[in-house]
Amino acid sequence: MQAIRSRDSIDAGSMKILGISAHYHDSAAALIIDGMPVCAVQEERLSRRKNDAAFPLLAIEWCLQHAGLEPDDLDAVVFYERPMLKFDRILTCALRAFPRSWQTFPEAMKSSLGEKVWVRGTISSYLGVPSRKILFTRHHQSHAAAAFLAAPTDRAAILTTDGVGEWATLTVGHGTRGTNGGTAITLPREVRFPHSLGMLYSAFTAYLGFAINEDEYKVMGLAGYGRPTVVDKVRRLIRQTADGAFALDLDYFEFHSTARRSYSSRFVDLFGPPRLAYEPIDLSSADGQRFADCAASVQCVLEDTLVTLARSLHEETGLSDLCLGGGVALNGLANARILAESGFTRVFVPPAPGDAGCALGAALYADRIHFGSPDRDIPDHPFWGPSVDGMELARIASEDGHPVDRCEDEDVLIGQTADDLAAGRVVGWMDGALELGPRALGHRSILASAAGTEMRDRLNREVKFRDEFRPFAPVVPIEAADRYFEIPAGGARLARFMSAVFRVRPEWRAALGAITHVDGTTRLQALDREMSPRLYALLQAYGQRTGVPVLLNTSFNLSGEPIVNRAVEGYSTFLRCGIDVLVAGQTRVTKKTSEVSRE
Amino acid sequence: MQSTRPLVRPTGFDRMLAPLHRWIWRDHERRVHKLMRFGETETDGGRDILRAAEVTSDPLLRRLYLVHAIDELRHGAMFRQRAASLLQALRSSSKPVFRADWLAPGGHGADDLEVDGESDHSMLAFLHLSEKAAASRFTVYRDVLRDDPPTYAVFDEILHDETFHMNYTLTQLARISPQHHRRHIWRARCGRLWKAYLRVASALAGVIGTLLMTVQYFVLMPPFAWLAKRGARRERQGWTAADPDAGDSLTRQY
Repeated sequence: MQAIRSRDSIDAGSMKILGISAHYHDSAAALIIDGMPVCAVQEERLSRRKNDAAFPLLAIEWCLQHAGLEPDDLDAVVFYERPMLKFDRILTCALRAFPRSWQTFPEAMKSSLGEKVWVRGTISSYLGVPSRKILFTRHHQSHAAAAFLAAPTDRAAILTTDGVGEWATLTVGHGTRGTNGGTAITLPREVRFPHSLGMLYSAFTAYLGFAINEDEYKVMGLAGYGRPTVVDKVRRLIRQTADGAFALDLDYFEFHSTARRSYSSRFVDLFGPPRLAYEPIDLSSADGQRFADCAASVQCVLEDTLVTLARSLHEETGLSDLCLGGGVALNGLANARILAESGFTRVFVPPAPGDAGCALGAALYADRIHFGSPDRDIPDHPFWGPSVDGMELARIASEDGHPVDRCEDEDVLIGQTADDLAAGRVVGWMDGALELGPRALGHRSILASAAGTEMRDRLNREVKFRDEFRPFAPVVPIEAADRYFEIPAGGARLARFMSAVFRVRPEWRAALGAITHVDGTTRLQALDREMSPRLYALLQAYGQRTGVPVLLNTSFNLSGEPIVNRAVEGYSTFLRCGIDVLVAGQTRVTKKTSEVSRE
Repeated sequence: MQSTRPLVRPTGFDRMLAPLHRWIWRDHERRVHKLMRFGETETDGGRDILRAAEVTSDPLLRRLYLVHAIDELRHGAMFRQRAASLLQALRSSSKPVFRADWLAPGGHGADDLEVDGESDHSMLAFLHLSEKAAASRFTVYRDVLRDDPPTYAVFDEILHDETFHMNYTLTQLARISPQHHRRHIWRARCGRLWKAYLRVASALAGVIGTLLMTVQYFVLMPPFAWLAKRGARRERQGWTAADPDAGDSLTRQY
């Protein structure tokens, strides 16, 4: 991997801070130099293990190599949470559940005491940095910093919410950016474990037969097929407290006591038998509809609760901007309702609001607030990872005898790709640096025509190999977005990183069948030319050919795999599914049909 | 039922365990569980072989690994689909059973192999031995499942692929290392034995650790549990004021 800087080019006086998130899910590393992010990458993208939670050695190694640094050059290494405080919560919860926790206690202790509480020692031994350089932010401080310090706003209210950090599951407060070290993030109030919106949603995720911390977005997709008929039952699980927060009725849950199952038998009595993970969801059956209704109901309650909290935060702070952080901020339906109903004019959600983004958040927090460095505007894009090498693709595809084009003329390549898309071909698109976060925002995407439901069904069946109820998202030039989608004031900002779900205009729903969900909505990306000029040019070229500059944009990975990083990973994905054309940098590859003899 | 597929002769050890496997597979719920687990193992193994295809510099190996990986991923899907079909029929009669996972292991799964750091020799030798072991076991499983033709057919089809995997890995190992391929296989065999020992040792350590922790839990924890429960009763619900000192120092872990 080629370093972007030589060691001589780095100012010896510049502040170099490495942020790390690890040990729960989706570990990552991020490097900032002189207050500016230089690179950030999730461990899963390098290790090729989805949601890799291991200590992110590969990510750290890549970040340092990319910047041309040695660990000794670092001024600080910041871990995204306080491990002993987290251990305090795990131990306390086990004690509170005594003696029901007897089976999970040994596992929890072995997992925590075996590695997770010794983070300072782990970092010190892996990187060889002295322990005085190792710092710890609180989990929700990291979320808040990732959401606020990277957003183009000077003052904003902040709301972070996820499953759980150390003790906090939701925090509210505000942030102020100052040019001379006056940057502050204040989070005066929090809701504590086990009362957690993230855990409520995860309990339903498990109940509906999906994987916790991974498949929550499937619940959101399934919600579109249901009606919120059991909202009253869901409200028995969560009630508003007198001070305006919320509390869970813990009789319906087990995540806080045994960790073997998220929900209790009482939960099952209330909602009926759970779905088994391997059972397909048949929406035409009574059970399938019951599951969809459960998803719609918990989605409705989650949205109502978040809107109430955000509205009250708006009244309290009087600010017009809101920064949302934490894994729950990936819920695009809730984000759209917060924008529409809370009173905030602008809502900012970073491209990686979950734990991976905390690596960047922790580093920024240390830089701006702990070290008091002057505030600097952060480039407003998610592309902080390794760059793709088109030559690598050309080499391996040629070796395998696939037709390869090296198009040095950018316009020709864009034109050819637009022709492919207009002809109904599916294109694997790799361009520049990898995105940080779960969304493919145009640098590692599978692109296809957005017209017609046939394309949606084909992609689900032949490319992504996933459930038929799963919707796809569109990408559209920001200037044209309003023509096809009902975007409220401030909505374009949320659509920048695909953070909200908006309605497709009724007159375009049939024409954009591949990206219109069953309820008429879609999780839109409104693309700014500066953020991704090549994809923007492709959209324009496609629009010239078809009259509609809207493409289906889905992440470049297959079910159960992380998003591709290098050209060779894109290539192996291309060969295993129904993608017709692969573009990486200036290289374009089409598929030959012969295969290796088995004789 | 008689298979038309090429026969893979099970090892003496696997043949000796056939009655045990017959007992394990007889229970339908256990059968479903095992098929699901096999599905996961095959899929994991497929991903690792896919990674091997991505990191090798040998074009022929890349193509063969890719075919192999696609096979493994397809096997995973076949196992899951068969398990799902059996599950449909079983939904009403769910009761916990002894699952006997370690008595009837699945395919290879290369999950204890750091694919990125392996040479082509060691990868091929490892895969050859894993495929051979899996083919031997799967032959026994297939033969004890004659009363369940769809599951029998799944194993039969997979066995056909395993034969190809077993053969190509050996042929390719001989191609890239004509002088030393037997030595690589022996080294891989020793490596598998060492890893088996490590697995047993860590499982044993896990059991001892769990036992000690459980004893401590019941002996030492009760007074602290009482205090924790009392603390929980006093805890108010709703908003909690954040500790004003909590954000001050980033050197604290607590």
